[in-house]
Amino acid sequence: MKVAIHLTVNHKEYHLTIDAQATLLEVLRRELSLQSVHRSCEEGECGACTVLLNGEPVNSCLVLAAGADGAEVLTAEGLVRDGRRHPLMDAFVDLHGMQCGYCTPGMLMSAYALIEKTAGQPLNDDQIRKGIEGNLCRCTGYVNIVKAVQAGKAAREAGNWW
Amino acid sequence: MENRENRLIAGKGQFADDLALPGMLHLVFVGSPHAHARILNVDTRAALAVPGVVRIITGDDVKRHTQPLPVQANFKRPDWTWRLAKVYAMPADKVRWFGEPVAAVVAEDETAARRAADKVVVDYEPLPAVVDAREALKPGAPKLYDDWEDNKQVHLKFDFGDPAAAFAAADRVIKVRHSEGRVTGLPIEPRGCLAAWDAKREQLELWGSFQTPYLARHNLAAALGLPEVRVKVNAVDIGGAFGLKIHVWKENVVALAAMLTGRPVKWFEPLRDFIVTGPHQRDVFWEGEVAVKNDGTLLGLRATVIHDLGVESTNKGIAALSIFPASSSPPNMYHWQGMHIEGIGAVTNKSFYCAYRGYGKDKGLKFIESVINRIARALNLTPEEIRFKNFIQPDEFPFHQINNYIMDSGDYPATLNKALKMADVKYWRAQQKEGRNNGSYIGVGIVTTIEPAGVAVPNCQMGGLTQARVQMTPDGTLTVDSDRTEIGQGSEISHTSIVCDILGCRPENVYVRPVTSEWIGQGPLSSRGAVWPASAVAKAAKELRRKIERLAAHFFKTSPEDVEIEAGVICVRSDSEKKMDFREFADKAFFFPGPRGLPPEVLLAHDHLLDVTATWYSPNTPEGGSSYTTFCSSADVAVVQVDPETGVTGILKYVHVHDAGKVISHKVIDGQIHGGIVQGIGEALTEKLSYGTDGRLLNTSAAEYLMPTAVEAPDIEIAHLETYSPFSETGSKGMGEAPIIGSKAVVLTAVEDALAPFGIEVDDAPATPERVLQWINARQAEKK
Repeated sequence: MKVAIHLTVNHKEYHLTIDAQATLLEVLRRELSLQSVHRSCEEGECGACTVLLNGEPVNSCLVLAAGADGAEVLTAEGLVRDGRRHPLMDAFVDLHGMQCGYCTPGMLMSAYALIEKTAGQPLNDDQIRKGIEGNLCRCTGYVNIVKAVQAGKAAREAGNWW
Repeated sequence: MENRENRLIAGKGQFADDLALPGMLHLVFVGSPHAHARILNVDTRAALAVPGVVRIITGDDVKRHTQPLPVQANFKRPDWTWRLAKVYAMPADKVRWFGEPVAAVVAEDETAARRAADKVVVDYEPLPAVVDAREALKPGAPKLYDDWEDNKQVHLKFDFGDPAAAFAAADRVIKVRHSEGRVTGLPIEPRGCLAAWDAKREQLELWGSFQTPYLARHNLAAALGLPEVRVKVNAVDIGGAFGLKIHVWKENVVALAAMLTGRPVKWFEPLRDFIVTGPHQRDVFWEGEVAVKNDGTLLGLRATVIHDLGVESTNKGIAALSIFPASSSPPNMYHWQGMHIEGIGAVTNKSFYCAYRGYGKDKGLKFIESVINRIARALNLTPEEIRFKNFIQPDEFPFHQINNYIMDSGDYPATLNKALKMADVKYWRAQQKEGRNNGSYIGVGIVTTIEPAGVAVPNCQMGGLTQARVQMTPDGTLTVDSDRTEIGQGSEISHTSIVCDILGCRPENVYVRPVTSEWIGQGPLSSRGAVWPASAVAKAAKELRRKIERLAAHFFKTSPEDVEIEAGVICVRSDSEKKMDFREFADKAFFFPGPRGLPPEVLLAHDHLLDVTATWYSPNTPEGGSSYTTFCSSADVAVVQVDPETGVTGILKYVHVHDAGKVISHKVIDGQIHGGIVQGIGEALTEKLSYGTDGRLLNTSAAEYLMPTAVEAPDIEIAHLETYSPFSETGSKGMGEAPIIGSKAVVLTAVEDALAPFGIEVDDAPATPERVLQWINARQAEKK
C-alpha cells in the first residue's frame, strides 16, 4: 500500500509517495539518497541511524515514514552549509572523535541536539555521556567524542554555530 | 584535496550499504533454526512466488557451482593434531550451528528478499548438539565432522626453555585456572558487499567491507573456481573491522548469485546476523600450575588451554592458527626457566572462530597476568613488586625469550613506574582500606603486557607479505598504495605522515588511495600496519626521494646533495633563488621537456620514472624463528568499586602507559588505546555470547549483547614512552591490541582485589553483576 507524505528534510520540502510500511531510515536513504543515515541493528539499539525529527533525536529505523508526515528532519548532510562543514564536525575531526566514521553521523545528530537543548546552561562530561548513551561506538572508546562535544558547545557559546 | 576525514564527517562516506549499480539485485540469507541437523529438503516454491524474487540459491547450487572453501593454514607435525574439513560456502547436507545460512534469496529489492526469505521452507532432521568444548572432547560426544575421529581439530604442544628444571627448583607450585567467555567484536557496521559479473570478459569484481582484499581475492577465486586474474576485490569505506572482516565466506554466495543471474548483487546484513553468524572469539579454559620461589621469582608453567572453536576454523577463517600464539604468549615480559604448554581446539555447534583484536596472543597474556597477581597475593607481595622482580631489563634487548620471540626493545620498569605514579596507587590503597571499614569495596588492579605485532609464520596465509607504491603524478601529487586497508585505524593518516616526513611535503600533496586486491599483502592485521606496510611505504618514499633529488639536480644544474625539499617545494641549498614546487617539477620530468630533456645516464639507467614499488621483510623473523617483529608494551592500572549487594562494578580511575616505539601520530595511537580499552572493559564486565543447551544463541541482538555505551566507558589517562624498535623502517612498533589485552585483565584483577575480603577468585569473564553475586554467594555458602 502506498501513501503520500510531505517532509521537510535539511530545509528542503519533499512530496513523496512511499510504501506504508517504510521506515524513515529507508525513505531517507533510498528516496532522498541521504546516505549519512547509516543502517546497523535496525532495532533501535545502536543509534547509527539517529536523525533529528522536529528537533528531537530519534532512531529513524523505528519511525514509520508515514507517521512522520509533515515533520522536519535534519541529517548530517543538513549541517553542512554552502559547502562549509559545521563547527561541530570540525571539532570531531580536530579532536579525533571519529575513526571509522560509521557511528559518526548519528553521534553528531545526538550531540547537536544536546548542545541545542542545553544552550546557555552548563554541560559537564557526565551529562554529555548520558546524552549520547544511545549512540554506540566501537572504535573511539568515547573519550575524544566527549571532548569534541565540549568543543562544539564552546563554539556555540562563541557564536560559531548554525 | 579533501582527505578522508573531511569527507566522512560531512556524511560523504561510501560504505558497503551505499553501493549501487544499475540492475542491482539484493541478497538475503536464510539461517538454520537448529544448532545441528541434517538438511532433508529445501522448498523454495512459496518464496519464488513472492513478486520481485529472481532466484534462490541453495547448498546444492553451491556444491554444484563452487569448490570447497580453501584451507588457510595447515600445520602438519607428527606430534601435533591439525585436522581439516571439507566445507562449502553453504551446506547442502548438514547445518552445524544456529543461524548457519542454508539458502540465499535474490530479489529486485531488499524488502521482497526479506519477505521471501521467511517463506523458504526447510525440512531438518535435528541432531544432538554439543555446546561445550570440554564436553565435545569427551568420548561419545556428538561429532561435527563424520570423517574425523572426534571433535578435536587442533592439539599443539610446546616446550619452552627447561620446564622440568623449573619445577625441580620450585619452592611452591600453585594450581591455576582461568577462563574467558565467548565474545564478538561487533563493529558498528556489519558485513556487506556488492558483486558484479562481467559476462563478456568473464570477470568478477567485488566492492565492500573487505579488511584484506588481496587474501579475499585469493580465497574467493579458489572457491569460485576462477583464475585470480579474473577477480578483483575493492575495499570501500569500512565501518570498523578489528580483524572480524579478514575472512571471506558468505561473499562467495553473493559472487555466485551475480554469476548465475548475470546482474550485480548486493548484500548487507543486519547487525544481528553479524552476532549470530559472525566470527566469535575468546572462549577458552586454562588449567595448569606455576612454579615459583618464595621470594617471588617466576620459574615455570605447565598449562593446557582449550579453545571452543565453534565449527571448523581453517577454512571459513584462520582461527585454528590463533591457538599457536595463545599457547606461546604466556612468558610475557618476564624471565622464566621453562614452560610446557598445550593448546587444544575443539569444534562445537557454535558460530565459527576467527580473528578479533588480540587474536590468540591475548589469551596467554591475560592468563599469565591474572596468575601473577594471584601468586603475588599468595606470597604476600604487591603486584608491582613481583613484576619488578621478574621483568626483562632495559639492557637485555634484543631479548631472546624462551618462546622464540626476539623482543626488540622496551623499558618495562619505567613503564610500570610511570603508571603507578599517575594512578597514585598509594592513595587508592588507603581508600580501599578505609572503605572496607564502611562496607565499600574498592579494588586496585595492575597489569603489564607486551604486544607481539606483525605476524609472519610459514604454511599459512600469514607468511609476511606486504607491498607499497609511491608515485608522483604529472600535476605533482604523491599517490600512495599499499595493502594497509583503512578500517578507521588511521592508516591513511599514518602513511601520509610518513611520506610527508621523508619527501619534505605537506599532507595536501599526498593522496593515499583505497586498497584493492592489486596490492600484494596480508593487510592490517596483527597490528602489523605500522611495521610491515608502513616500512614498505617508507622504503618506497626514500627511493623516490633519491630519484627526485637526482632529477632536480639536473634541472637546477647542481648536485643531488645540494637539493632540499621543504613544505612541497624543491630548492637548492647553495642558491635560495632556485626553487620549484612539485607540480612544476613533475611537469618538467614528464612533459616539458620530459624524458628527452634528461641526461643519457639517467635514461639509460631506466631511472627516470617518478614511481617506486617496494616490499619489506622483518629483519629478525627469519633468523630466530620469531613469529612477530615488534613488541609494544604497556602498563594498566584500574581502580574499581564493586557493590556486593548488586554485583555492579564501577570504574573510578583508569591509567594506561604505552610504549609503541616511535610515535607517527599521537592522535591515532591515543584513539586506538581508548577504543581498545573500552572494548576490553566490555569483555570484562558485560559482553558474553550465551548458547542454550540446545545450541540456540540466547543473545542475538545489540539489546542483549551488551557493549559499553558512553556512560559505562571511563575517562582514560594516557602517557607514552618511546623505545624505538630496531626492526622496523621507522622505529615504530605495531600497536592496537595491547589496550584490549591489558584492560580486560586489569579490570578483572581489580574486581578480584575489591572482593578480596570475600576470598573470591575471578577466574572467568565477564564479571557481570549476576556472576559477581554468584561468586559471593557461593563463597558464603561454603563458609557455612
